[in-house]
Amino acid sequence: MITCRGIYKSYSRGSRRKNVLNNVNLDVGRGERLALLGRNGAGKSTLIKLIGGVEMPTSGKIRRDMSVSWPLGLHGGFQGSLTGYDNARFIARIYKRDYFEVKNFVEDFTELGRQLAMPVKTYSSGMRARLAFALSLAIEFDCYLIDEIILVGDQNFSRKCHYELFEKRNDRAMILASHSPDTVRAMCNRAIIIHNTQATEYDDVNRAVETYINL
Amino acid sequence: MAHSLLKQLARGWSVQIRVIHALMIRELTTRFGRENIGFLWIMVEPLLFAGLVGLIWQWTKGPEEHGVTVIAFAASGYIPITLFRHGIGRSISAFTANGSLLYHRQVKVLDFILARFIIEVLGGMMAFVFALVVLASVGEIPVPDNIGTMIAGWTLYAMFCLSLCLVITPLSEMSEVIEKLVPVITYITIPISGLPYMVSWMTPGVREILLWSPFVNGMEMIREGIWGDKVTAYYNIWNPIVFSMILTLIGLALCRRVRRELAVE
Repeated sequence: MITCRGIYKSYSRGSRRKNVLNNVNLDVGRGERLALLGRNGAGKSTLIKLIGGVEMPTSGKIRRDMSVSWPLGLHGGFQGSLTGYDNARFIARIYKRDYFEVKNFVEDFTELGRQLAMPVKTYSSGMRARLAFALSLAIEFDCYLIDEIILVGDQNFSRKCHYELFEKRNDRAMILASHSPDTVRAMCNRAIIIHNTQATEYDDVNRAVETYINL
Repeated sequence: MAHSLLKQLARGWSVQIRVIHALMIRELTTRFGRENIGFLWIMVEPLLFAGLVGLIWQWTKGPEEHGVTVIAFAASGYIPITLFRHGIGRSISAFTANGSLLYHRQVKVLDFILARFIIEVLGGMMAFVFALVVLASVGEIPVPDNIGTMIAGWTLYAMFCLSLCLVITPLSEMSEVIEKLVPVITYITIPISGLPYMVSWMTPGVREILLWSPFVNGMEMIREGIWGDKVTAYYNIWNPIVFSMILTLIGLALCRRVRRELAVE
């Protein structure tokens, strides 16, 4: 269970403050698949970062009673100057996993071959996505935080992600920030629209998607 | 209740130790790579610095001053000050530089400071021991008169450096002015660092002022530990302890505040 109560987030730039989220309340139970919808800059990534503990809310409480992945997106989680293998070793260490198991899984899932011995900063975004996904799958979380951008890989990658995440691990919870009505309809069973710093919850995904399209 | 709290604390510790260990290895591979002598550079940097400065001093001041050999005196002063300068230098913007690792919740901002500082301390101490062994074997420096006092001096000196890092790191994230000022400030602290003198060489008035500096107190202890009765050392162990404690408290509070506001890409 993830519980967010009274979440406010604002960023300060000099003397000005910009409100991003105003009083967001949210529960995500085990196995639930929640879509975050909203226009660019609405605060989807911010909310995901708060839930993942990357940034702290300005006020409010977030409780995590299950293991939650780090936010999987194009940014963060890696040290660019280190190789794919070094990053895997770092992550295996801090999550207390056996490096060789992680390494085998990563080699198998990413199919990056010798590229894994190159610094991550030389990777394309597709390659980064593969590495990030492989690592988070190797660690095994109860809840995955995913920025949809990362799912835009080639066919082979999409198929693998789909199999690993939606079929093999369909008991896991997921929070997916997305712009794609099709993905949301197909993958999620609840949705939240973030608009003008407010979050509105919808139990019916189709209605959420329609509201979102008309924003 | 108390038992489960203790268990939680123990688990938290073991996680942080794992994270610091991983961060240290990461830091060493990014800074020194795996080629040639690799991580041994952490020791070579301060050694080269102290060695070269020692040679220059010997050339300008002659081989002996106030009854101690100049080259050994330079080494005993320069290696600790390298710890201070590198430690502070490494602290600047340490949170943003490591920001992408904050995606992993168990990684705390304090771990960044500790990991970097431990590396500097290890490098400094290894360099110091190496210099002692080499200089002692050629008779430039005596075998330390009291190793305990020497180590205690080092520990206090390092403790004060760490507490400074704890303050400077969050400050450098809060204001760019501080970030720009730090190199200047570390430079002008050299006179109160205890580096090129012993307090006993000064007039009583100057002595009073210098003994307010935690660096000087630590350095005097290190030198007494090495030369024993050959030098007159003035120090009060409470000075560095109290200053470090105060700075550590301020630093921890600042870190907490900065972490709440930190924007991570």
